[in-house]
Amino acid sequence: MLTALLLIPFIGGLALLLLPSSVAPVRMRSVAIVFLSLQLLLSVALLIPFDPSVGTPQLVEFTPWVSRIGLDYRLAVDGLSLPLILINAALTLVSAVCTRDISQRPRIYFSMLLLISGAVNGAFLADNLLLFVIFYELELIPLWLLIAVWGGANRGYASTKFLIFTAVSGFLILAAFFGLALVSGSVNFNITPALTENLPVATQLVLLVTLLIGFGIKIPLVPFHVWLPDAHTQASTPVSVMLAGVLLKLGTYGLLRFGLGLFQEVWPLVAPWLAIWAAISVLYGSLAAIAQSDMKRMVAFSSVGHMGYVLLAAAAATPTALLGAVFQMVSHGVISALLFLLVGTVYRKTGTRDLSVIRGLLNPERGLPLTGTLMILGVMASAGLPGMAGFISEFLVFQGSIQAFPLATLLSMVGSGLTAVYFLLLVNRAFFGRLAVTPVEDPVAHGRLDVQLAAVAPRETIPAVALALSVVGIGLIPSALSRISDSATQLMAQMPGGMG
Amino acid sequence: MNAHLPLSIQLSWLIPLYGFSGVLLSLPWATGWVKRNGPRPAAYLNLLMTVLGVAHGSLILAWVQQNGGVVIEWPWFETSGLDLRIGFDLSLTNLAALEFVTIMSLLGQVFALGYLDKEWSLARFYALLGFFEGAMAGVVLSSNLFLSYFVLEMLTLSTYLLVGFWYAQPLVVTAARDAFLTKRVGDVLLLMSVVALAAWAGSLDFEDLYAWAAQVKADGSISPLLGTLIGLGLIAGPMGKCAQFPMHLWLDEAMEGPNPASILRNSAVVTCGALVLLKVMPLLQLSPVAIDVLLIIGTISAIGGALVAIAQVDIKRAFSYGTTSYLGLVFVAIAVQQPIVAVLLLFAHGLAKALIFMSVGSVIATTNCQDITELGGLGPRMPATTGSYLIAGAGLTGVLPLGCFWCFGLLVDGLWANYPWLVPVVLLTNALTAFNLVRVFRQVFLDKPHPKTKRTPEVNWLMALPMVSLAVVVLLVPLIFHRIYPIAGVEVVSLFSMVAVVVSSLVGVVIASGIALDKFGSRSVFKPLRTLQDLLAYDFYTERFYRSTVVAFVAFLARITDAFDRLLLNRFVNRVGTSSMVSAEGLRLAVSGQTQSYVLTVLLAIVLLLSALVWWRAA
Repeated sequence: MLTALLLIPFIGGLALLLLPSSVAPVRMRSVAIVFLSLQLLLSVALLIPFDPSVGTPQLVEFTPWVSRIGLDYRLAVDGLSLPLILINAALTLVSAVCTRDISQRPRIYFSMLLLISGAVNGAFLADNLLLFVIFYELELIPLWLLIAVWGGANRGYASTKFLIFTAVSGFLILAAFFGLALVSGSVNFNITPALTENLPVATQLVLLVTLLIGFGIKIPLVPFHVWLPDAHTQASTPVSVMLAGVLLKLGTYGLLRFGLGLFQEVWPLVAPWLAIWAAISVLYGSLAAIAQSDMKRMVAFSSVGHMGYVLLAAAAATPTALLGAVFQMVSHGVISALLFLLVGTVYRKTGTRDLSVIRGLLNPERGLPLTGTLMILGVMASAGLPGMAGFISEFLVFQGSIQAFPLATLLSMVGSGLTAVYFLLLVNRAFFGRLAVTPVEDPVAHGRLDVQLAAVAPRETIPAVALALSVVGIGLIPSALSRISDSATQLMAQMPGGMG
Repeated sequence: MNAHLPLSIQLSWLIPLYGFSGVLLSLPWATGWVKRNGPRPAAYLNLLMTVLGVAHGSLILAWVQQNGGVVIEWPWFETSGLDLRIGFDLSLTNLAALEFVTIMSLLGQVFALGYLDKEWSLARFYALLGFFEGAMAGVVLSSNLFLSYFVLEMLTLSTYLLVGFWYAQPLVVTAARDAFLTKRVGDVLLLMSVVALAAWAGSLDFEDLYAWAAQVKADGSISPLLGTLIGLGLIAGPMGKCAQFPMHLWLDEAMEGPNPASILRNSAVVTCGALVLLKVMPLLQLSPVAIDVLLIIGTISAIGGALVAIAQVDIKRAFSYGTTSYLGLVFVAIAVQQPIVAVLLLFAHGLAKALIFMSVGSVIATTNCQDITELGGLGPRMPATTGSYLIAGAGLTGVLPLGCFWCFGLLVDGLWANYPWLVPVVLLTNALTAFNLVRVFRQVFLDKPHPKTKRTPEVNWLMALPMVSLAVVVLLVPLIFHRIYPIAGVEVVSLFSMVAVVVSSLVGVVIASGIALDKFGSRSVFKPLRTLQDLLAYDFYTERFYRSTVVAFVAFLARITDAFDRLLLNRFVNRVGTSSMVSAEGLRLAVSGQTQSYVLTVLLAIVLLLSALVWWRAA
């Protein structure tokens, strides 16, 4: 069953490549949507055999592969990876559906999208360190292509930056895993804390720090975040949805699975530093977001801030905090995907994302009222308003962390308050006021009443409405998610590195 | 669960949902899917839901009056480390507050039908009002701090959306922003306390928290610093909600929103905030500092608010500052451990303030003018509005034995023993309020008609009916007090306090009757007086102060971070990138191009790497 989660997107990607190029782009999108819907169905179906009361990896599928170097094909799923598998399936489907401009090489575009989704599934399911690295690297090139070929004007710079940073990240992770195998004398790369059991503390620390920097680039944490805002601004909307919603989660997943999971003995030593790092990341991301005038850059910096909560939770490693980390990964995935979708709609209709230019989009006759309404919902969810996904995630993270790291937690909460500041600025500037798409400095053009934006067709709003509903759904019925993850996060916290 | 309880109580979870469901019911009209026959059906559906809410609340109230209060809970979110529940404390006070909130909402909604007669997005307004009402019902009934926080934040959100209702106007944009951010500051501080209490006390149930606080106070198991911080966080949330200094700015700006929402905001919403404070009051024993802060803030707000109010020319703002002022007195009552007086004052003030905002709303609806210097002579033309204003004014001050007269009397009695220095605060607030009411009355209802007030008929029945009904209720407040709190005994107020309250009111009335009134565009030529007027009219320059401190500071930090990101971090990364490209170019020229040399280089590197690793492993 788990293998099928890899096969469906990979076969779909291959099938798309084999289609004759005479097939209409819309048809190709339909093919991609069919495969992705299958993937989503199968991911949801995983809930049936999945036993939520078991915290350890389950539904294991094992085939010896290149056992000589410790590379085995070993897949498993647990409460940490299952929500991320679901998010991956849902958001890839969303980005395929919301792809509008597909005149340019649609075959390759959609097959890359499917390839990414399959690779991400592989990374989340891999129960072998080398297998994880293979899938982790596999997702890089297609994403690089998606930015470099289908990106904005400055895509060359942004995609190269992305490629270099994430390649370094992959290299560091591989180095840490190889180093671990070498110093522990183990030839199998199965994920078990026993790997680090008899190692000197200094060696463990070196390996852990290497790993943390590797995943820190991907998450991204300050100061390794510099690739993210550029990548987002140059990427097209569907690619941003994938990048923010799914790919960043590889970093936080790795942090929890391999950082906390493998290095339990030294984790408490680095945890206080990680908490400080988390607080800095949160505040830095939030403050930088306030200063942005490009809506997409603002949302990108908010990601930097919001992923910091996951690091804080990982540092505290209590059952509540770790459950909060899973919640935060899921809700950030859904919320940021929603925000990028809406910013994409604004960009498509107005031709700009500049907050000093757009005004009054809520106008019910000539503006984008539904987009505006969903935007208000999205930013409020991101700012942690109760009843939506962001609040319960943040509450769990903060409540789980405050006893271990009171100061870092309080600072992160200040960051949560700052989220309200920049997102309120966004809504107030772009959606409130009198409809205009001209610079404020231009008094003649400003406030002219002849701006008429093309209406958003109801069909186009389906993905955003679906995401908005799931944001509210998670916020009101959080037990649906905690039921899946509670055992796994509890088990994780009870390990020696955890504080449970 | 709770099978022995009557159905009305078992179904009490429905109460907030009456309001919230209004949002969904209004959607077809608010989104414009249904355009036939205008948006009125949404309003009627909302009214129906509110009537259901009032009826359901009354059923429960009747049962509780006979059988005593009951706490009822439903599980919501349970994990290995946390158990969050939805809990309602169906006590007499909470249910009375619920009736107050829902009836206010009902009256406000009927009033809005008349006031927003020609508003094209009426359905959206009712959807927001429904949301507002649902959140308020949740706040007053909540039996645990988590749920209280949850719905308080929803209240913040709905305030933002209601203030921002006419979002195309520039002043509304800033008002909505300030309302949200000010409350959000309070909310984040409150959240810090909620999170800390959840972690240290292990439960967020009010009853458990009270027990925990008493125990901790006895054995001193948490540090005084932590206790103080928790206490300060707990009062920060209600401070924002009740528009207390220094977080009072938003209520004034919020007057840019539609008047029916202002009616609710100045009566019901601030009451909700104060009720949360009442609920956390027993926890404040952990933190004497927080109680002192409460007392100081209450005092400053009471006098400061009343002073600023008398310098306003906007008819809505003149009374919104009065709300800050009265809630300051409520804070004082809570700080000196007089919860019953606080509750009575909340009710008396809430009813009378709602009535005055209805009266003011009628004036605005008829004249399309909010500037009192441009109004005059409305008295004979609008008898119902004028009568309501007078009754509301009497209810707010201690001049006639209506609601606030008894509250002030009780408060003065209570303060006299331990806090005699607070007695003048109460009396001064009362006098200033009376002054303000008379000043506005002379300006708007007496005086000779102005161009804007020559043709001013009385408002239609949709506005007059709720206004007159509420006026009757305000007149009956002493009787209601007698029914709800027979033991508190509003009759036991000492003669001294009664005289003091009446005299202070009369002082205000007499002075206000004698002063010269500003006319449109006129200001005092006497420089010191003008400076004082400006100081008060501009709210002690609080907005300017904020802009040059907090706002400037955050903006500065944001700019610094952004500059660091762009100029240092990104430039560094680009420099590294460029230099590696350059060195790569250089290497290209340096190599010979022979395959052997590449192989040799790679082999050499691998040997070096491996030997380094072997050495490291051995070491």
